[in-house]
Amino acid sequence: MAFYIARRLLLALPALLGLVFLTFVLSRVIPGDPAATLAGDAATPAQLAEIRAQYGLDRPILEQAVIHVRQVLTGDFGRSVFSGRPVAEEIAQRLPATLELTFAALLLSTLLGVPLGLVAALNHNGPVDHLVRVLSVGGLAMASFWLAIMLQLFFSMELDILPLRGRVDVEIGMPPLRTGLVLLDSLLAGRGDIFVDGALHLVLPAVTLCLPGLATIARFTRSGVLETLQKDFVLYARAAGYGRVRLAAIYVLRNAVNMVVTQIGLLFGALISGAVAVEAIFDWPGLGTYAVQAILSADYKALLAVTLVVGVVYAVVNVLVDVAQALIDPRVAEDAR
Amino acid sequence: MGFRRLRAAVLATALAALPGAIAPAITPAWAQAPQRPLVWGDSLPATLDPHAIFDVPSQFVLLNVYDGLYRYQNNPPQLVPWLAESHTTSADGLNWEFTLRQGIKFQDGSDMTAEDVVYSFRRLLTMNRAPAAAFSPVLRPENVTATGPRTVRFVLSRAYAPFLSAMPLVAIVNPRVLAQHTVNDDWGAAWLAANTAGSGAYRIDPATYQARVSMDLSRFPGHFLGWSHNPRPIEQVRSRPVMETSTRVLALLRGEIDATDSYLPTDQVERVERNNRTRVARDESMRVFTIRMNNRKPPFDNRDARLCFAHAFNYEGFNNTILRGLVVRNGGPNPNNLWGNPSDLQPYTYDLNLARQHCDRARAAGAPLDREVEIHVQNELEQTVQAAQMFQADLRRVGINLRIVPNTWAGITGATGRAESTPDMWVHWVSTYFVDPENWIGQMYDSQFHGTWKASSWYSNPEVDTLLRQARSSLDRPERERLYQQATRLVVADSPDIWVYNTLNLRGLSRRVQGYQFSPVGSGGEMRLMSLAN
Repeated sequence: MAFYIARRLLLALPALLGLVFLTFVLSRVIPGDPAATLAGDAATPAQLAEIRAQYGLDRPILEQAVIHVRQVLTGDFGRSVFSGRPVAEEIAQRLPATLELTFAALLLSTLLGVPLGLVAALNHNGPVDHLVRVLSVGGLAMASFWLAIMLQLFFSMELDILPLRGRVDVEIGMPPLRTGLVLLDSLLAGRGDIFVDGALHLVLPAVTLCLPGLATIARFTRSGVLETLQKDFVLYARAAGYGRVRLAAIYVLRNAVNMVVTQIGLLFGALISGAVAVEAIFDWPGLGTYAVQAILSADYKALLAVTLVVGVVYAVVNVLVDVAQALIDPRVAEDAR
Repeated sequence: MGFRRLRAAVLATALAALPGAIAPAITPAWAQAPQRPLVWGDSLPATLDPHAIFDVPSQFVLLNVYDGLYRYQNNPPQLVPWLAESHTTSADGLNWEFTLRQGIKFQDGSDMTAEDVVYSFRRLLTMNRAPAAAFSPVLRPENVTATGPRTVRFVLSRAYAPFLSAMPLVAIVNPRVLAQHTVNDDWGAAWLAANTAGSGAYRIDPATYQARVSMDLSRFPGHFLGWSHNPRPIEQVRSRPVMETSTRVLALLRGEIDATDSYLPTDQVERVERNNRTRVARDESMRVFTIRMNNRKPPFDNRDARLCFAHAFNYEGFNNTILRGLVVRNGGPNPNNLWGNPSDLQPYTYDLNLARQHCDRARAAGAPLDREVEIHVQNELEQTVQAAQMFQADLRRVGINLRIVPNTWAGITGATGRAESTPDMWVHWVSTYFVDPENWIGQMYDSQFHGTWKASSWYSNPEVDTLLRQARSSLDRPERERLYQQATRLVVADSPDIWVYNTLNLRGLSRRVQGYQFSPVGSGGEMRLMSLAN
């Protein structure tokens, strides 16, 4: 298994290196002049030239690319051309918020999507199946920004039972930062009040973000279960007198879930990119809002770092998915040898 | 409040489930807090260093965390001595001497001296970032000197009338604090981007600061002006910018924030005022909504073509219907409520027949009005899009095809460095950085500023250049007024841009916020003056 994991990690490296080059090229073709943003509203042409020289923006593009790759390889993302602060520091502040939201959404999607798909498959072409299919198509089609506003209007404004925005209430404040994850940090600090408040703040953004993933997982679980139900071993198991629930929940689901696990890996990337709109509407200070601000201010250093960090997270999650698949289905690990 | 009840119920359950030993430690903070902090929902600047950037959000830090020698107060804005108690000027306008008040303390408790003022100006001029732009053409770092423990002398290379008007742009920083954090002669810039070294009425807690996300401030009891003017000052301020307009308005209505930004959409004004715990502060500001035309690019190098566009914009429809009359028509580059405007200035009117006549004349002179014209809008600012869409419909009626290009502030201003890359047209506001016609007509239409976003219409008229330069170097206010009036008449007659309105500043406020005082510089963000109702 260790060899298998090492191989998966090694395969991810060329992809990441390609990503570093690709994002650099892309960052230089987006419109905008970072020097103009940095200089502020009242800058003169001479000040702009000075800033371009200071940040190396006046050097040939190839030279800039080489410097960039060298810096990234040493873990140096440079300073934000907008705030003047180290980009790595800014990302370290923002990444945990996105991870917390994304994992919460993924957890919700999985916990709800798998049973929904299973129930739908077991009631194939029945009313429950039709309902799940309608809901899953709706979940995929619904624009997250629209859903976010509707949830805000209903749960925060109309019912007044959930907070509208942010990660914690200003009166409660953030827990002492260790991991940057509010729920975990509040538990580590023994602050139940912050944990509860943080969890309540997480509900609406996580629900908004989870919906497309939930729909995808429900659909894949349904089709996986339906396919597995046609297999011979199911017929034999039935003949052997296995109960319907036991058969479905243990034997059928385990065989059907591999496809779902693959989807979870892919979904993680989709959730991180989908978090941009959700974070903006719920004022969730994560990488999504950071990326939007970086785009609006032509902060190419920040943008490059965000893309790379998301790429690394995505690659790591996919390695984890590969490992999970190998654990669930020994044939996968066997094939990889 | 339902959310509070729910949270209390969930909290009680959580507390009951936790071991008794840690329960006392997790008593909810909000239950003990005597007063909910003021939550300010306006934008935060990218950096806290007051000498590194100058834009509208950075004025919040400048006004609350730092002090300058002079400051603008009230509306119309008055320039009042602040850290300085007085100043003198030589007859030729080259020597300026400022005397500091006695007993000014920085937030670390150290005394402020003339040497600290000298350090601050030298830092500003050497770093040479945006706030230095108003000074660097006339002031060199070595020409700022301390002539006594409380007196500072500035020797200008040439007379520059707006010198005093621009003085509030400069924050006085504490060199002793910065000395501890200076790396590679960077004047402490890396450190000051996320920390402070000021004397202002509020202190920032650096541990809570996250660029453009959050900043917690607490009152500085030792502020040099004292607090006798405000018997119930706000102790804690939480700056929490809200990114989305809809969320910002909802957060105000729900009581999660106490103030929106000052761009409250006009269609939300009624809604905010109908709510019994919120209101809208309406203040006439000095922020001119302008549609720029690139005068170097055909067809805009033709005066008739520009006049055609100027008469094709539906000023009344935009100002009174789309913006619901919450703005004031402004017929020239300077705000109406500023000195230096001719009293008889006639704004352009919406008249499509007149527009067609000018267009025909321009076409006859060879202006390529049949080509597609691009107008760049700031996509995140809805008004710029609305103005362009309305303009597009009217221009179609005079045979002009206008294409709307979504862009960003950074994208557009980055392109205005050269005439060739400057868009055909773009839409923006010119805000108040200092209260002097130099901030508007001076920097927008003197050709020496070509290459900056303010002068992005690339207008060039030697007569106007001469008038503006004379006005800039004259110390005689009546004469300056006459020169600016003359220049304004010429500029308006040439119609290099389309000036639409002067802003009525609209900020949604919680009714518990009291003492809010608007000034066009800083848009009313001075916390020192405010208090909170119980």
